Amino acid sequence: MRILPAFLRPLAALVLLLGLGAASARAEDSFADVAEKVNNKLVKVFGAGGFLGIPSYGTGILVSGDGHILTVASQMLETRDLRIHLANGDRYHAKIVAVEPELDLAMLKIEEKDVKTPDFYDITAEAQKAVVEPGTGVLAISNQFNVAMRAEPMSVQRGVVAAYSKLRGRRGINQAPYDGEVYFVDAIMCNPGGGGGALTTRDGKQLLGVVGKELRNTLSDTWINYAVPLQGKITIKGEKETKTVTVGDFVSQAIKGTYVTRDPKEKKKSSNLYTGIVLVPNVVERTPPYVEELDPNSPAARAGFKPDDLIVYVDGEQVVSIKEFKDAMDRYEPGAELKVEVRRGDKLSTLTLKLEDRGKKKP
Amino acid sequence: MQTRSPLRTPVAVMVALAGLAAALAVVGPSTGAEALDPKILKMEQERIAAIEKVRPAVVSVFSPGGQGGGSGVLVDEDGYVLTNFHVVAGRGAAGANPHMQCGLSDGVLYDSVLVGLDKVGDVAMIRLLPKTDKAGKVTSPKGGKFPFAKMGDSDKVRAGDWSMAMGNPFLLATDFTPTVTFGLVSGVHRYQYPEGKGLLEYTDCIQIDTSINPGNSGGPLFTMQGDLIGINGRGSFEKRGRVNSGVGYAISINQIKNFEGQLRAGIDTDHASTGFLVAERSEDGAAKMTVTEILPDCDAERRGISSGDLLISFAGRPTESVNHYKNVLGIYPRGWRVPLKYRHDNESKESLVRLMGVLRKEIAEPGKPNGGPQPIVAAPPPPPPAVAKLYEAKPGFANFYFNKQERNRLLKTFVANNGDFAGLTGTWTIKGDGKVKDTAATVEFKIAEEADKEGKRETTVRYSKGGVDNLYVLQPLKQGLTQEDLESPPDSGGVLVALMHYRQLLALGEKGFPGDGFSHGGSEPFYLPTDDAKPDYTKQRVECEVLATKLGSVPAKWYFSKKDGTLLGGEVSLVEREKDPCELYFSDYKKDTAGRNLPHKIEVRYGKSRFAVINVTTFEVK
Repeated sequence: MRILPAFLRPLAALVLLLGLGAASARAEDSFADVAEKVNNKLVKVFGAGGFLGIPSYGTGILVSGDGHILTVASQMLETRDLRIHLANGDRYHAKIVAVEPELDLAMLKIEEKDVKTPDFYDITAEAQKAVVEPGTGVLAISNQFNVAMRAEPMSVQRGVVAAYSKLRGRRGINQAPYDGEVYFVDAIMCNPGGGGGALTTRDGKQLLGVVGKELRNTLSDTWINYAVPLQGKITIKGEKETKTVTVGDFVSQAIKGTYVTRDPKEKKKSSNLYTGIVLVPNVVERTPPYVEELDPNSPAARAGFKPDDLIVYVDGEQVVSIKEFKDAMDRYEPGAELKVEVRRGDKLSTLTLKLEDRGKKKP
Repeated sequence: MQTRSPLRTPVAVMVALAGLAAALAVVGPSTGAEALDPKILKMEQERIAAIEKVRPAVVSVFSPGGQGGGSGVLVDEDGYVLTNFHVVAGRGAAGANPHMQCGLSDGVLYDSVLVGLDKVGDVAMIRLLPKTDKAGKVTSPKGGKFPFAKMGDSDKVRAGDWSMAMGNPFLLATDFTPTVTFGLVSGVHRYQYPEGKGLLEYTDCIQIDTSINPGNSGGPLFTMQGDLIGINGRGSFEKRGRVNSGVGYAISINQIKNFEGQLRAGIDTDHASTGFLVAERSEDGAAKMTVTEILPDCDAERRGISSGDLLISFAGRPTESVNHYKNVLGIYPRGWRVPLKYRHDNESKESLVRLMGVLRKEIAEPGKPNGGPQPIVAAPPPPPPAVAKLYEAKPGFANFYFNKQERNRLLKTFVANNGDFAGLTGTWTIKGDGKVKDTAATVEFKIAEEADKEGKRETTVRYSKGGVDNLYVLQPLKQGLTQEDLESPPDSGGVLVALMHYRQLLALGEKGFPGDGFSHGGSEPFYLPTDDAKPDYTKQRVECEVLATKLGSVPAKWYFSKKDGTLLGGEVSLVEREKDPCELYFSDYKKDTAGRNLPHKIEVRYGKSRFAVINVTTFEVK
């Protein structure tokens, strides 16, 4: 291949891929065999839920011959009666062995003794393969909507990697904990029960990632379809050191039993934060966050807040009530600098608010 | 050093664009954007060809008054169209609109008339009326023949296969050209619970990620070669609203094939139930279906199935989960007989079970609509005369007009191949030898109108055996007979009554069954009798059309081979549902001197045993 000027390489790569990607996916070729092979390495998971839009079912990926299962961390797993069905319909109990809240992944293990699961994915090997480029054809296999019962094969969908970029997702007011890079796919694969499913290349030769949960993009408020790549990683700031944990690390340590489950990022207590904003009384259930007055010399005063301002966005997230504003603020620590959009009259203004610690108020 | 995307500034963009043109030249034609991989081009051409092939058969269906609509697909050149029941649902007598307007991709809008319904399975059949000029000459379609889609085999479809859906989502097509979407089959043999009132149960359906939306309902699902494998109708909708969320469902064409006879015969069909309840029981980690409760006196119980029995297979398909069981059951119409394999006391057995219905019969008040899903708010305009001519409302039927058409066609075929028995209301004599209850015997049946002392004529059946004349004499239509009388001779299930019905059918036809006791019963499998202790029901099965008759309170079903219209047998039920019918089997047909085909082997079965098998030596019809 000729040497291209540096700034053209990404373009040329994309152009090349259009040729390569298509040649490996003839429309007439069925993916039936691939779907079957992948299905055999997946399990149906059943747990708590079934209300408030949280399904009581999901999917998981077998990652060891002893019944270790990789899936998404969700409220469904919070039960003593966690059950899984293998592809052949055999039913077992499972327990959580490790959770990594910031990757939003969990490792389960079959509880019954001496159960062998010889058909599994070697995550360490798969994670060493390269991340695939946007434009690559993919298959998503999961038990979304719990359509498949017992030994029935799960559902297979086809799509294309639309982008490989940072996840900015939320479910209701809760921000998705993982904000690293994910595969965004055009297949509508993030449906109830889809979380924990497998995203693979169309030839089935590479496991790309774990199908994600039902999330909306925080900026566009639209539903997104994503999968956490096996190459995904997070940075954990410990007391003494900072370390990087990849999905592969999580899996191999969890299988060995050496992964220490950390507590999920705790919501900061609002009493530590000081902004100086005094809102109107919170009378009705969804009182809009109007500023009533400001403490003099407070961070809000310095940021330019004025009485009668209506707070509309906090760091890109819409807040329609005082409660939502407070919940949004709970995510931040003193010292954080936020962009806050307010409506003043009929104009939107962006203000930069630096949060302080209540105990260390500047005079 | 600042790392910035090289395309961020306008200058960089210009340079890049200029460079791109150069780069394409530099990289070479095999990977340049203008020269596509020939494989892609070939795929595209094949797709276009497949779409061209089937597009003419895709129908845009509109409710009269334009209130709603969906899609459909032509399945033969006479204009019969398959669609969803919920597309045609309305205020008509059977809960459906008698008239819909249908557009084809050639831009022509046709009137259509309702033919048949399967509400539980969400299928409807309608028929397009060719357009004619004032002189009555057909102007559209060309030659009076409609383009149609070829039915495929949905059992051959696998999850992971490509598929194509065509229809009118969001009623976008103002020129009736269908929208095409393509995607994967995500799963096969799927089960979806019914929506309200037990209707729209999708059993054994095809799950697709091929995008289908409101308006696609009733439209076709094709393989990439253009074979019809399903009718699109439902989807899983949740947080994203009632638009495609990557999970859609199509009724499998193989299920519709089972109902096709009933649909074409204008029947308002019912699905099947077995009369017993099942539950999943874990045996060695795997799931098995066991019978928990069984309705007393139902056909399954009479066949020997009891509570606690383990289901092995149903109609040849394994039953290892609740979904399997429901999927197998859901593809059959009420009234069919299917083989059921089960384990009773550690012994494996197989029996033919008559399937009961699912829907509770609603007693229709004359003149009032016969129940149905939510009616459309505004009353639709009355159908045009050309449509009204082809529509006849009647309880139990979607459109009785088509039932009469099918019935008359069947009789015509029968007469053409077997001879006309009309008016032969004299004495019928059947003499033969064979076995009666496993003992060798010679028998004689005589059926005739005989005048009694007061001169009143009654149909009389006389049974003689082994030289004993008039062993049993029965006048089936006389009042005040006991059940024992009617079922005579004992253990025959009422063969005298059955033979009387047989003669009534052939000699009198419609006139012999007054009060709406004469209709086309759709299609059913018929199983030829065999002496095998363990019959192979697949081998014994013959596809038949059914003529349903009722004389007084006694219903009967007569089975005519689909191949040539031969009357293979009949079932006469003296006590409907609670007792087994008397089964007649006719074979060894020979022509008499008048050129009429008469069966020279008659077998009579009742319940689990054979009452008689007769090799006919004399068969006289007068």
